[in-house]
Amino acid sequence: MRTLIIDTATSRTSVGLFEGNSPLFAGRMDGATSHGQALPQLVSAALEIGKPISQVVIGMGPGPFTGLRVGIAFAQVFAEARKIPLLGISSLDGIVSGVTGKYIVATDARRREIYWAEFDSGKRTSEPRVSQPNFVKDLGLPVYGEGAQLYGFEADIDMTHPNPLLLLSALESGQRVDRPMYLRKPDALTLEER
Amino acid sequence: MIDGPLVLGIETSCDETAVGIVHGRKLLSNVIASSVLEHERFGGVVPEVASRAHLEAIWPTIKGALSESKVELKDLDAIAVTAGPGLVGALLVGTSAANALALALDKPLYGVNHLASHVAVDLLTHQFELKPSIALLVSGGHSSILKIEKITEPFEQLGRTLDDASGEAFDKVARLMGLGFPGGPLIDQLAELGEINIDFPRGLTAVKDFQEHRFNFSFSGLKTAVARYLQSNPGYKQSDLAASFQEAVVDVLTKKAIDAAQFSGIETLLIGGGVAANSRLRAVARERATAAGLELRIPPPILCTDNGAMVAALGAQLVSAGKPASALGIAVDASAPISQISWPTSI
Repeated sequence: MRTLIIDTATSRTSVGLFEGNSPLFAGRMDGATSHGQALPQLVSAALEIGKPISQVVIGMGPGPFTGLRVGIAFAQVFAEARKIPLLGISSLDGIVSGVTGKYIVATDARRREIYWAEFDSGKRTSEPRVSQPNFVKDLGLPVYGEGAQLYGFEADIDMTHPNPLLLLSALESGQRVDRPMYLRKPDALTLEER
Repeated sequence: MIDGPLVLGIETSCDETAVGIVHGRKLLSNVIASSVLEHERFGGVVPEVASRAHLEAIWPTIKGALSESKVELKDLDAIAVTAGPGLVGALLVGTSAANALALALDKPLYGVNHLASHVAVDLLTHQFELKPSIALLVSGGHSSILKIEKITEPFEQLGRTLDDASGEAFDKVARLMGLGFPGGPLIDQLAELGEINIDFPRGLTAVKDFQEHRFNFSFSGLKTAVARYLQSNPGYKQSDLAASFQEAVVDVLTKKAIDAAQFSGIETLLIGGGVAANSRLRAVARERATAAGLELRIPPPILCTDNGAMVAALGAQLVSAGKPASALGIAVDASAPISQISWPTSI
């Protein structure tokens, strides 16, 4: 079973290729507006290592909209074109490992907000939400992820963004997500609301 | 016998998710999913709403174009995709999908210019080669006069709008009149019932504009004049206003385009873009082109508004001309100039 893993839900574009649980390729590029260019290059590099792919795993967010869509559009069309399964999971499920007890994983939602969810010993126990950092701070739990770093929570500097290996293990334990997780409505007023 | 490459084209620069397949100059399929109804309540295209709709529609539209043409992905010679100009978030859904197809199938990828595609679509509907032409490109985002020597080489821009695009003027006036969105088809229909009896201004047609703005357009003054007219004539007749406004737009567009052709010594006038679907523009252009002794080429309305077939048509021309494919990870460009027909081979 050869799995291609893609995540573009944060400012990092991550691609991994696994044979079972053994990594064949892992690559990443950082840049909040570079997903569109980074992703095809990373996947191209992964394909040079192993052409036949059995399935595609995609991080469905939550994440800033434009980058998130780059990954989902790519993953969906790639899987359909190759006639292989596409499996969606929450990107928050692939950031932290090895922590016991209750904690929070948070990423940057921009506009001074964070996307976050609560976990207990590696298992997500709440639906992802978008909130102001103070709301999360008041919960009094340890916070991990890029969102923790940005807003001055005590953070683990290694577990900031989704990574392919953790996304792969989340595939076994986490819930499947089949829609992009935007968590915010488009920013526009209807004629009636104006 | 059909020859030429088999190309799939993807267009997502605004609110249409569109995929077309061509075989050289033969149109095989043209499938369009529009999010226009979702934008109506906002009174205009909302980029984020459009981008979300593109993501929902992109694979079903590709699949639809394949099944309509009975083409299989493995048989394609190349993938073409609009890389600009357009809305960045919307463009990125199309280019990501196109990159995925190119990588999954190991096919060359061509990032192409949206405006050049509006010109290239002509090749699907006319039997003869495109001679050097003047193109009038009119849509919700653009209003330009271009000089084209060869479809695969950079175009020269002779004129452009200094403010609103002509399609935008239709949308804004329709909103002033309380008609809804998009304004073009609504005003076109109303105008058929009305008389041209209000004298609205023709932007940049005064003698003083001749030197600098001979081939440029301006529609914001016209929009203001309509707003003023509405204020001082509360009992106005909608159909007459629609007809008179539309005539002011059509008059300027056609006069300047024909002037540009005569000025350049070019005998073919081509009209493309969403506004080219306007029935009055088509009629007046035909009348005036005939009088001026010009050959007029306008695609059928379905190929004037944004579509994927036009992207595939340009892609096929690039393949046939032996142009190099674009580098993976095409960098979309919201304001790509018309001098850029296709995207480079390296990033």
